[in-house]
Amino acid sequence: MTTNVKLGFFSFAHMHAVSYARSAQNMPGVEIAGIYDANPAKGEEWAEKLQTRFFASADELLAENLDGAIICAENVHHRPLVEACAGRVGAILCEKPIATTIADAQAMIDICAKTNTKLQIAFPVRYSPPIRHLKDQLDAGSLGEIYSAKCTNHGSMPGGWFIDQKLAGGGAVIDHTVHVIDVLRWFWGAEVTEVYAEIGDSLLHPDLGIDDAGLLSFQLSNGVYGTLDTSWSRPKSYPTWGDVKIEVLGANGLIRTDAFAQHIAVSSDAAGKTQWPGWGSNADAGLVADFVGMIREDREPSITGYDGLKALEVALAAYESARTGKPVQI
Amino acid sequence: MKRIGIVGAGSIARTHADRIKKMPGIELAGYYDIFPEAAQRAVEQYGGKVYPSLDALLDDVNYVDICTTANAHKEPVLAALEAGVPACVEKPLARHLADCYEIVEAQARTGTPLFVAQVVRYFPQFAAAKAALDRGDIGAPGVIRTVRGGSAPGGGGWGSASSARSYYNDFDKSGGVILDVSIHDIDYQRWCFGEVERVFARGLRFAGKNPKDHALISLRFENGAIGHIEGSWAYPPGLWRTRIEMAGTAGLIEWDSLDQQPVEWRIQPDADSQPSSGTASPLIDADDPYYRELAHFMDSVENDKPQGVTAYDGLMAVKISLAAIESERRGEAVRVRDYEEKL
Repeated sequence: MTTNVKLGFFSFAHMHAVSYARSAQNMPGVEIAGIYDANPAKGEEWAEKLQTRFFASADELLAENLDGAIICAENVHHRPLVEACAGRVGAILCEKPIATTIADAQAMIDICAKTNTKLQIAFPVRYSPPIRHLKDQLDAGSLGEIYSAKCTNHGSMPGGWFIDQKLAGGGAVIDHTVHVIDVLRWFWGAEVTEVYAEIGDSLLHPDLGIDDAGLLSFQLSNGVYGTLDTSWSRPKSYPTWGDVKIEVLGANGLIRTDAFAQHIAVSSDAAGKTQWPGWGSNADAGLVADFVGMIREDREPSITGYDGLKALEVALAAYESARTGKPVQI
Repeated sequence: MKRIGIVGAGSIARTHADRIKKMPGIELAGYYDIFPEAAQRAVEQYGGKVYPSLDALLDDVNYVDICTTANAHKEPVLAALEAGVPACVEKPLARHLADCYEIVEAQARTGTPLFVAQVVRYFPQFAAAKAALDRGDIGAPGVIRTVRGGSAPGGGGWGSASSARSYYNDFDKSGGVILDVSIHDIDYQRWCFGEVERVFARGLRFAGKNPKDHALISLRFENGAIGHIEGSWAYPPGLWRTRIEMAGTAGLIEWDSLDQQPVEWRIQPDADSQPSSGTASPLIDADDPYYRELAHFMDSVENDKPQGVTAYDGLMAVKISLAAIESERRGEAVRVRDYEEKL
C-alpha cells in the first residue's frame, strides 16, 4: 500500500510543469492539490486541463497540507517560492537552473536546511535510460582511462521569459549548460575546474537581445576535458526541439549517446515538415517518481541543491569567460 | 597530351596517381623520391619513370604534384615555382609558418600557379553544404561544427607502414592530429564562415598519449560566428568519422558519415562461416574528391583561372592550426592575427 502524496505546483511558467504534472497524475496515490501561478489566466487554464484547482496565492496553496511543492517558475522567482515553501512542505522539486545567482542558490539551500525541507533540483537527464546506460558502462570501467566528453544540448529558441535577462538570468548558456554539466558531475563525482566559452548574442536570431549560441570548453577535476554546445541552433523547420548528446572517449574506445534518438519520423503535409516524436522512456516521469519516492521513503534527495548550485556556477563562469576572453577557474 | 610528375611516392601519392590514371588528356610522367626504391615501386604500379633528381622531373613535365611529407614541402615547392612549373602541393602547405611565408612570397613573385590540396573543399557533401550556405538556405553564419577522426596512425589500415607510422607519430615532422587532420576542418570552416579571430583548444597532444592524439577546438570568426572541431587519432580501430553541422539565422545543415550508407551489407556465405559486413558510397570517377581537386588544379592552369585554394589559403590554414596547438599548450585563447610561431 503506498502512502498518499499530495503535491502543489508553484507556477507553470516553465512548460516542464505540464510534463511533471501528467507524470504525477499517472502515479498511483499521487494527488495534485492545486496550481498557483502569478498569471491567473495561465494557472486557471492548466488547473482546468489537469482537473485540479487554481490558487490565487502561494500561501493559499500551502495551506492545503502539501507533502511536496513543485516549482516551475521563471528562474529568478525560484528563490522567493522556495523561501515561501520551506518549512511548510516536507519536500521541494525546483526546476533548473536552481537560480540566476550563486547568492540566491545558497540562500535556497540554507533555508531548506534550516527548516528541514528536502530540496531536489529537476535534472531529468539523469533519468534518461540511454544516459543511465552510459553511466553504467562508465561505472564498469570498460573505457579505461577517460580522455574527453564532447557534448551538445542544442535547442530551439524558446522565446517568452527565457529570452528576458531579468527573469531568466541569461539565454542559451544558462538554459542548457546545467543539464549536461550535472550529468558529467554525476558520472564521475568530479567538478568542473576551468571553463572557457565562446558565446554569441543574437547570433542565430538577429535582434534577440540575449545569448542564443554558446560553446563551452571545460576541464574536470578528474582530468577529463570536454566541450558543450548550448546553442539554440535548431530552426523552426527542424524535426525536433533539440538534443542531448554525449560522446565519451577513453583509452579503450568511444561511447556515443543520443538521449533522444528513440524517435520515429513522421512526415505530415499538415505540419509542413517531418517531425520526430519520441518513443523512449519519459525521463520527466522518472524524475517525478524519484521525487515522490523520496517523500514516501523519507530519504535524502538524489539531486541536491548543492548539485544545482555547482551546475549554475559553471554557466555563470562561462558568461564571465566570454566577457573576459580568458579561461575562468572555479 | 600534358604530363604530370609526382614528387614523393608515399600513400597520398598512390591516391593521386590512381585518379590521374583515370583522367583524359593527362599522362603520369613519373616520380622523384629521395628514396629511389619508393619511386621504383610506384612506377611498377602506375607507370612512368623514375627521375634521378627533382630538377630532372621539373624539366620534363607540365605540372608537378608534390606529395612529400609536410616537413619536406618547401624545397620542391620553391623549386617548382622558380622553374615555372604549375604545382599542386599536399596539405599542410608546410610544417612551419616561416616556410609558408616563403612559399607565398615566391608564388606572388614568380606568378607560377600553386594549388594547395585542401581536398575537403572537393568532397561532394562538403561542397554541397557550402553551396547551400552560399545560396542563403540557412541565412547568415551562426555555429559550424565538424568532426574528422579515426584511430592512431600505425594501428592498422592506413598509415600502417613503418615509415608512415614514424612520420605521423613524430610531432616535429607531422604536427600531430591538428596540423595533419583538423587542418582540413580549419580550412573548410574558414572557407565557409570567413577569417578566424581566435582559437582555443584542449586535447591529448601534451598528455603523453602518443601515438594517440585528440583535440576539441573552439573557433571565433571575425564575423562573430562560432566554430567547433573534433580531430581524432584516438578512436578505437575501425572507426572513421566525418561530420558537418552548420547552423544559421534561418536553418541548419547536417551530414554524418555514420548515417545510413548508400550500400551496406552483412553476408554469411554459409552456415559455418563468420558473417562479414561492409558499406560503400560509390561515385563516378569524375565526382571523386581527389579527382575533382586535381582536375580543378590543371583546368585552372589551362584556362588561366584562379586556383580554388591559394597559397594564402594554405598559409592561413597552417597559421590557425599552429595557433590551436599553441592554445592547447598554453591553456588560453590565441588570437590568430597576432600569432607567430616560436621555434
